Parts: sequence; C-alpha cells; structure tokens
Amino acid sequence: MIYSLKDITKKYQSRNGPVRALDRLTFDVQPFERVALLGPSGAGKTTLFRLLNATLRPTSGKLSFDGNDVGAMSSRELRQMRTRIGTIYQQHQLVPSLSAFENTLCGKLGSWSLFETVRNAARPTKRDTEQTIAALEAVGLADKQHARADELSGGQQQRLTIARVLMQDPDVILADEPFASLDPALTETIASLLLELVQNGKRTLVATMHDVDLALRYYPRVVALRNARILFDKAPSDVSREDLDTLYGDDSGPDVELRVDPDIQEPPREFRHKQHRAR
Amino acid sequence: MNSGINNIGRGSKEDRWREAPRVNLRRVAAALAFGVALVFCWRAAEIRPTVLFAPGTSVALWVFIRGLFPPDLSLDFLRIVGAAIIRTAALAIAGTTLAITIGLPLGVLSTPTLWQRGVLLAGEPPGPGKLAVAWFSRSCRALLGFLRAVPDLIWGLLFVVAVGLGPLAGVLALAVSYGGLLGRVYADVFEDVDSRALEALHAAGATRTQVFLRAIWPQAKPSTVAYTLYLLECCARSASVLGFIGAGGIGYEINLSMRLFEYGQVLTLILALVALVASTDFFSRYWRRRLHANAPAGSLAYQNIENERSFRNHAGRRTRAMVIVLIAAVATSFYLTGFFTSTRAGLLSRIVRFAGEMFPPELDPVFLRSLAVPLIQTIGISVMGTLTGIAIGAVLSLPATTTLVFAGEDEAGSRSLLGRAARAFVYYATRLALNVLRSIPELVWALMCILVVGLGQFGGTLAVGLHTGGVLGKLYAETLEEVPARPVEALRATGAQPLQILLWGIWPQARPTLVSYTVLRWEMNLRVSTVLGLVGGGGLGQAIYNNIQLGFYSRITTIVAIIYVLVIMTDWLGDRLRNRRTAI
Repeated sequence: MIYSLKDITKKYQSRNGPVRALDRLTFDVQPFERVALLGPSGAGKTTLFRLLNATLRPTSGKLSFDGNDVGAMSSRELRQMRTRIGTIYQQHQLVPSLSAFENTLCGKLGSWSLFETVRNAARPTKRDTEQTIAALEAVGLADKQHARADELSGGQQQRLTIARVLMQDPDVILADEPFASLDPALTETIASLLLELVQNGKRTLVATMHDVDLALRYYPRVVALRNARILFDKAPSDVSREDLDTLYGDDSGPDVELRVDPDIQEPPREFRHKQHRAR
Repeated sequence: MNSGINNIGRGSKEDRWREAPRVNLRRVAAALAFGVALVFCWRAAEIRPTVLFAPGTSVALWVFIRGLFPPDLSLDFLRIVGAAIIRTAALAIAGTTLAITIGLPLGVLSTPTLWQRGVLLAGEPPGPGKLAVAWFSRSCRALLGFLRAVPDLIWGLLFVVAVGLGPLAGVLALAVSYGGLLGRVYADVFEDVDSRALEALHAAGATRTQVFLRAIWPQAKPSTVAYTLYLLECCARSASVLGFIGAGGIGYEINLSMRLFEYGQVLTLILALVALVASTDFFSRYWRRRLHANAPAGSLAYQNIENERSFRNHAGRRTRAMVIVLIAAVATSFYLTGFFTSTRAGLLSRIVRFAGEMFPPELDPVFLRSLAVPLIQTIGISVMGTLTGIAIGAVLSLPATTTLVFAGEDEAGSRSLLGRAARAFVYYATRLALNVLRSIPELVWALMCILVVGLGQFGGTLAVGLHTGGVLGKLYAETLEEVPARPVEALRATGAQPLQILLWGIWPQARPTLVSYTVLRWEMNLRVSTVLGLVGGGGLGQAIYNNIQLGFYSRITTIVAIIYVLVIMTDWLGDRLRNRRTAI
C-alpha cells in the first residue's frame, strides 16, 4: 500500500470557531493505482492533497506512506518522503521571477546535497541541464526556457509544473485540477502525457478533477468528497446518475471551508508594497 | 508523444547540452568600475581592519564596556533622564505635527495628476492660466525636494544659529526636513492611485476638490496614514540626535555624559533611548497593523492580519478617546518645546538677518578646493558604511525570519520541545540585537566607535555600518517573510531543504525589494555621512561645524548647496540602480 489513511481529520481555526476541512477519512491507495478525486469546491480536496504530500499535518488520525507512519517521521524523513511525491498544483505555484529553465530545475532540489545546491545556484551541471531541457521538450516548452515563469500563459505554466514533476521523477504524482486552465486540445495532450508518465513509469497518480467525464474516462477508481467526508469510492462503471446528483447537489451544508482555506486567495502579482517605508 | 519522458529525471544518455556562456562586456566593465570605486572608497573612508584587532583597541573597548556597568540608576540622574525623554518625545510629536502641516498642502499642490497632466487636465483649454498652475505645482515639488535633500541635522544647525539654542530650533528642523519628505511621499501616493476613478468623477462634472476627496483620498488613505505613523518613528530617532547640536533632550545628555567619561550614565541614557524608540515603533506598528496598510494580499503576513482583523469589531468606541489623547499630547508637546512662549519679538528679525548673512555664497577657489577632500571622504564613508551594514544585516536577517526559523512547525514534521526552544531563543536574541543596533542613532554609535578606534573616517564608517546593519537586517527579515507563500510551499513539497528553499524560492522573489531597500538606505547614509563630522567622524560635517563656529555663514550656503547637489545625484543614481535591479 502506498497510502493508507485511517480516520484522518483536519480542523482549521476560523473566526467562527474550528471548521472541519476533512472529517474521519479512511481509504487506501495501492501502488500504481490511478485515483480521481471528485467533489464540489470547498469539499476538502486541496487540504487532502496537502496532507498527502506532507506539507500539512492532520489534526487527528493516522496517515501512512509506503508503510511508514508519517506522523512519526523526523524532518529529514519527511523531506525524503516528499522527494518521492510530485505535486502538480492548481495555481501552478511557480517561482515567478525565475525562468522556465530554473523552475524546472527546482524539481531536483530534494536530491541535491548542500554543496550541489550552492554550485547549481551559480551554474547547473551538464547532466542537470540536459535533463531540464529534455523535460521542457517533453511538455513542448523548450523554446520558452529563458522566459520568466510569470511571462508564460496559464496553459504554459501548467505544462511547466508538469516539467518540474518530470525532473523530480517521483513515485507518486498528485495533480490538483491538472486540466483546469487548458483548452480542449491541450487537455488531450496533457492528459495523455500524464497517463504515459504514470503507466510506463510505474507510478501512482491521485488527481482531483472537476470534469466528471474526463475522470470517468481515464481513471479506474473514483473517490468523491463532499462536506469533508467520502461520499463514494468506486469504479467509474458503478458510478450512477444519482451519485453525481448528490455529489454536486445544492442542498449542501454550510460551505465555510471556502472562506477558511488559505488556498482560495490569488497570489499577488507583484511585490512592491512598502517601497515608501524605507525612504 | 515523447517515449523517453519517463527517463528524464533518471538521466538520459543523449547529449543535448547547449552551451550558452555569454561574456557580457558591459557587465565586465561595470564590475571593473565598481571595483575601482570600491578601492577609492576604501581609501577615502580610511578602512583599517587591523585597528580592530590591535591590542590598544581591545583595551579601549574593554575600558569603555567596563565603564558602562553598572548603569547609573541614582534617583537624581533618573530624574534628568525622565525629563530628557519627555523633552525628546515632545520634540518628535511637535515636529511631526508641523511636518504634516507643511507636507500635506505642499504634497497636494505638487501632485502632478491634479495640476500638471493626466485625465483632469487633458480636456482643459490651453492657455497661460493652465501653464502657470502647472509651473507653480512643479516649483512646489522642487521646494519639497530641496527641503528633503538637506539633512535634518544641518537644518538643525542652521536653525540653532537663526533662533538660538533650545528645542524650538529642533522642532523647526524636524518640521522643515520631514515636511519635505512627507510632502514628496504624499504627492507620490496621490499620483499612484488608480486613475480610472478620477476619470469617472471628472467626466461626471466633479470639481478638483471633489475629485481629490472622493477619488484620490479614499484610495491613498491607508498608505498615507501608514507613512505618517512611520514618520513619527523617524522623528523620534531624529529628535534624540538633534540634542547633540543644542536642541536639548536625550541626545544632549548623551553627548554631555560621553564628554565627562560618565559611561554608566551613557548606558542608562542609551537604554532609555532604546526604550523610547521601541515604544514609538510599537505604537506606530500597532496602528499601522490596525489600519492593515502594510502587508500585500496573499502573503504569510497578510494571513495573520486576516485572523487579527476579526477581533476588532469593537474598535469604534475607543476612537474618540484616542483623538482626545492625541490632541492633548500635541498641545503639551508644543508647550514643552517652547513653541508658544519663545515666539518673542525680535525672533523674526534675527532669522531675516541670519538669512541675509548667508548670501551671497562664498565661491573663493581656495575655499572650494579645501572642500574636495571632505567631500570624497563623505562619499567613501557612505559607501563603505552601507557595505558593512549589508554584511551585518544579511547575516542577522536569516535567524530573524520567522518563516525560516519556524518553517512549517505546525504544518508537518515532529519537532522536539528542546529544538523549538532553541529556535525561539535564536530568533528572539537576533531580533533583540537588531533592535539595539537600529535604535542607537549613527551619531551615538560614532561617539562610541571614535572612542575605540580614534577620530576620523573609520569610526564614522563603523558607526554607519552598525546602525545600517540593524535597519537592513530588520527590513531584510520582513521582506523574506512577506514573500508569496505558494511557490515556497511547492518547493517544500518536492522535498527541498530550508537552504534550498531560501536560495530557489525566497531569494528570487525577494531580490528586487531587497536591492531597492539597500539602495534607499545608501541614499540615506550619504545624508548621514555629511553630518558625522560634527562629532569627529570625518567628512563634510567638520567643515560645517568649523564655519558655523567662526560665523562664516556665506560658506555654509556653499556647503549646503554642495550637499544638495550631492544628494540629488545620489537619488538619481539610486533610482537608476533600482530600475535596473533585475540586471544586478
């Protein structure tokens, strides 16, 4: 088992008291499995992702990765675990002022020693350069390698995050809405790229999807989250019309997570407040 | 598509290495010029690192440090300290109030979008009236620039001669120099607001006053208020230094005790000064945070404010009480600084006579040539002092950055109580060191450094470096903290170590702001370097002091003009550096 979740609960503090973003989640993910996560916004998908790549701790419950209890890991072990998990974020989370090349290279950070980090900041090695360019070529961005990340379009940024994951060469890929900002043609390309990456590379894929058709077509297993709980967990062929109606219906409870989740805000475009202060 | 994608991260055999080494001639030339300038500055500032390790130095340092303890806490002396603190605070408050009185009207008058160009002016008929208004607005802006370019201490010296020793000279100096700064900032803020609102109101037939009140002010208010509060901090620091040249208050007492070798008293006074500056900081920061004018949306700091904001629904009740307290404080300050009592007859004629004696400026070539060496010394002190400050600030800022020291503490990973305590200790110790470095003004540092390394530019350089280190360390830490958090989180999710996150995620995002702060600080240090000579720190200050003592006021005019030109040139150079910051 690559992931094992048992009674995972995550609470946030909000002005109206604690809010449950995830409520007693229990499920397993087998190696090389492809899982689609469905659910309306605010259902807790992004929180679940941050638990799965160990950048957030659950409030209670036990999360195991590859048989090891994540809660008992040291910082170093956590870092080692994170190098095995590649995350494709919904909002791309690229370093805006670095070039496409450098952002891709960042995927390798976890595997570098201290010395390599310092040396590569000045000038990457031949091997890393080759790999970076190969990764950029694989996503069709080789001609954009010198462009700054914030100069790229939404679709190009999305492909760049995939290039970063290619560099990282992880065992598990977590993709948060990987097709959200892509046009239909590009969606096909990226979907097959992701699929090839997972199937040929013997990797596990967990992806949140808002496009139900795409999820049912590409993924052998569908897990649906609603109001911080698992609504259903089945194969696409078993998913019924009623299931989906319940999932996206309007009679949901209070959707407070929307206001609480720190991921909702857009990142600031630039960073030039306070210029006056130092004058 | 690409069949090899699964091998990318594992390394491929194909040779796709693309050599792209670009030896940029311009960059090499710039580096060369920088190197030469550095050597010059090093010589001009008389940097002698060996002095720091000479046996005499450590003896002098030891004698000084031993003299500091125990601090003088006798009741008589504490009474003096208390009076000095109150006088300094009064100076700062009265100075800030007058600075606002000068800065706000001049700032409005020199806002280009209101009087010179832009949507409000585009539809007006051309003619002499329009030109005259634009010209008037530009001259207001130039006046503000002049007021701000001449350092506050030099204004202080001039006013001491004009109106006599005492706090009134200090208040006027603060009012004039910080009024200029404030007016310039107000004008910038008013100009930077979203002009679509202006256009809409203007098109609907609003007058200029209405446009200002309804479209410009609401947008500019948070920055304006935040900057004004920040100015109060600056004035408090400046007021304590103005005592050195006869405005009374804590600076005067420090100077006196230093000269009497009463180091125990010096320590008490410095502690009092640190407390004063820290409490002004706290007050100003508290109010700025309430007005949430600082943090950009989406940053880590902003999230903290979001949480805090929810607790302040009952703030309105307290506002009225605050206004009353504020008015009382301002009135008391004006009374204490003798603003009402000393406006006696004859003062105005004294000022006019002094101003008359300043003209025409002395242009004797021998005198001008004698200024060349102090001028170069001043530049050298500012550059080397800033570089020292950068080094100190860079080293101290990292352990003072919450996002680095406490990185992910409650997000992932189990960390022992001991480890957390050690981290907290390092963090607070560094913050304390930065605060102490920052709260002690350059002139006080200069007195102490001169005591240890002797008179001359080296002491002045060290003084500038120590103070700048404290300021930059704090600004660097805040900048690193306020970097957008998402890319940083993404890097952490790839398993990157803290140093890697710093180098690849935080540094690239923070770099422009860091460069900008550093350049701004250098511009300020140049101003400071012109007055260090007052206490024996080398540079132009010595020449000013001598000529004032000798009553050669026409020479003062020349030196002030030189300083003005120097500051204007530095600002111009600084602007260019900041705009080219991506190339650095």
